[in-house]
Amino acid sequence: MALTGETSTQLALRDPDIRLMLRVRDDDATAFADLVELYQHRLVTVMHHLVGNAEEGEDLAQEVFLRVYRTRKKYHPKAKFSTWLFTIANNLAMNILRDRQRKFTVPLDVRDSGPLGPRPAEQLVHDKAGQPHQRLQHQELAGVVKVALETLNERQRIAVVLNKFEDMNYADIADVMGMSTKAVKSLLSRARENLRQALKGYIQMEGQAAADSKDE
Amino acid sequence: MTPLNDDEKAELVAYLDGELDEAATQVMETRLATDPAARAEMDTLKQTWGMLDYLPKTSPSSNFTNRTMDKLTLENSVPTPAAKTQPMPSRSRPWIVAAVWAAVMIVAVSGGFLAVSHLAPVPTHADPHHDSDLPLVRHLRIVEKWRWYESIDDLDFAKKLAHPEMFGDDPS
Repeated sequence: MALTGETSTQLALRDPDIRLMLRVRDDDATAFADLVELYQHRLVTVMHHLVGNAEEGEDLAQEVFLRVYRTRKKYHPKAKFSTWLFTIANNLAMNILRDRQRKFTVPLDVRDSGPLGPRPAEQLVHDKAGQPHQRLQHQELAGVVKVALETLNERQRIAVVLNKFEDMNYADIADVMGMSTKAVKSLLSRARENLRQALKGYIQMEGQAAADSKDE
Repeated sequence: MTPLNDDEKAELVAYLDGELDEAATQVMETRLATDPAARAEMDTLKQTWGMLDYLPKTSPSSNFTNRTMDKLTLENSVPTPAAKTQPMPSRSRPWIVAAVWAAVMIVAVSGGFLAVSHLAPVPTHADPHHDSDLPLVRHLRIVEKWRWYESIDDLDFAKKLAHPEMFGDDPS
């Protein structure tokens, strides 16, 4: 959330991460290493769930940190440091996801999937028509959720991931994504509805899996 | 008990996310207490959101910070591409390539002319049985390429000439 009416000094006094970033701005390499150490887990998690691949997520998180360093001289604290960091991450992820969408715009028919059978996304569409297999295990459920997340458009996906995994409120998401809070509210509502549709056949199964894991 | 419209769904999601103010929260809780359809909607939304917990937990690799710092060091130590490239003929300056080729050709032709003049003296016809062109005929292959051999220092340089890609764009 943008903290209006506060000076950079006031912000820096309140937010230790801003102080750290101001040291990075002053070419303190140790401070940059500390910043990477501090935020790597959160950033890798977000980027992984955005692109759906752990390795690529890590590469992108690294690129975000490098961009932070490259643009350090332009840094002026206006909001929480994490908002600035995730704005850079959002811009990078948005480009990646849009590029990917442009490259894969032609939907394949399930029958066209070749000798290896339908891909996970196709399998999900197929399964939605009928009852999913009763013995769907935790790992398979994870795959289904991953595919469901991939059915969201890039804006919905980013909003969902920031909300769910960064525990970011609507105002912070709005700052990161350059939208109004009202637009974020609407975006997240549509995203949840889309997820519900994609996971409709698995919700009961999830309840059973959760109960099973409690019994163990 | 009518199904929730889009605005009401957005309100319900915001309620689940703790984003409603006190008054709106009160309104939503009253609705949920009296409307089974709204409650069912809320339950499935909560379950759907809970399913995201099945996504794998991610941890950066143990050397993530070191790799990032190494990359940064490399990035800052490597000169820009323009500075590190050899001064090869540039695509943007084809006239330089053309000028170099023209100079090479002039030197080669002049050298060849002088060499041929030197190796093949004008016949005197003093001895009609003496064939003055005989050495030229015997070494014809060398003589034919003599103008090229004249303009180079050693065999390695000659071999390098067989790689035109080293000279950039074709001046033509």
